[in-house]
Amino acid sequence: MPRLDRLPQISRNNLLTFPAQVNDSAPFVRPGKPLAACRLAIVTTAGVHLRGDRPFTPGDQTYRVIPSDTPTADILQSHTSIGFDRVAIMRDINISFPIDRLRELVTRGELGGLAPYCYSFMGAQREAARIESATGPEVGRRLAAEGVAVALITPT
Amino acid sequence: MLARILEGAGISTTSISLVREHSEKVKPPRALFVPFPFGLALGRPDDPELQHRVLRAALDLLNETAGPILRDFPEDAEPGDQPAAPLQASGIAPAAGVQDDVAMEATQMRRYHERWLEKSGRTLFGLTGIPPTQFRGVVRFLEGFAGGQDVDMPERPPDVPLPNFIRYCADDLKALYFEGHLTMKPAAGGAEIARWFWGETAAGQLLRRVRDRLDGSDDPRWKAAAFGIAR
Repeated sequence: MPRLDRLPQISRNNLLTFPAQVNDSAPFVRPGKPLAACRLAIVTTAGVHLRGDRPFTPGDQTYRVIPSDTPTADILQSHTSIGFDRVAIMRDINISFPIDRLRELVTRGELGGLAPYCYSFMGAQREAARIESATGPEVGRRLAAEGVAVALITPT
Repeated sequence: MLARILEGAGISTTSISLVREHSEKVKPPRALFVPFPFGLALGRPDDPELQHRVLRAALDLLNETAGPILRDFPEDAEPGDQPAAPLQASGIAPAAGVQDDVAMEATQMRRYHERWLEKSGRTLFGLTGIPPTQFRGVVRFLEGFAGGQDVDMPERPPDVPLPNFIRYCADDLKALYFEGHLTMKPAAGGAEIARWFWGETAAGQLLRRVRDRLDGSDDPRWKAAAFGIAR
């Protein structure tokens, strides 16, 4: 899902009129080493952040930094659209921000390690020029400086 | 789009996609389309096995030698018990005889919510920064607003506009009730909780009235807040 034909009309129209970029190709960087040697960061558009952080507002194009060792009890979500069922993330933060699952992969030796920080943006952005020109590249530079080989990008 | 930006900075990315139609256009370098509803990107809460299968499928894309790649997670993994989209307040009729004392009801819910915290260690409550023990003030504020009064709260940061703050208040009220309900009925799904909240609680009726006042405004920011609280 969400298969568009199964959504209410208001959601379907919202998605069909979404101004998605149209591209013919994609930049493509191979990790150059096995996952078991890679440092990974989550970059999410779930609008999650630390409890003490300033909440996101709709259309907010800034980002929040979440240290990877943050206890999940200290993570809030201010992306509170009623277009999705929040009971899932109330039960389990991993449904959008799979930090516990990634820690398990590190313990099993399948993933080299977690980056010191994960990054979070607001979801449901219809206008993202500032992310494209400023905050997105800034996160890219930070990840590179932190030795991150792989970013896992998760939505809500 | 974010994936393309980060890849451009030299980071290998793999994305989980919930809208195939968008990923087909945007073309992130590597994306796994999952057949789950919004809010359930990793499949199902408290199902680490399914979450690991989703993660593995997304991470496997890193072995590909060229892209862009858009792969489908197997359709048969779709959780059959998840509705395609959440139930909305407009689709739920208030039950006859719903009590109207929100403050007393919220105080009762706080006790369930405390048990939720003890059990789960987590809560999404907290956007206003006002603790549950002082939430009666928030209820009075929302009641005043819904009643057409010119109200505000000293806890509202000066740089947070009133409609945004009202939305945070509504979201915290929902978190208090929804998580409290999970203490009473741990197996309850989102649809069941929505029917209870919008149909049977005084808080649900209060938020309908808050929504109506916001939606009646000509200010698009007020209308946007209304759209985010109930529709």
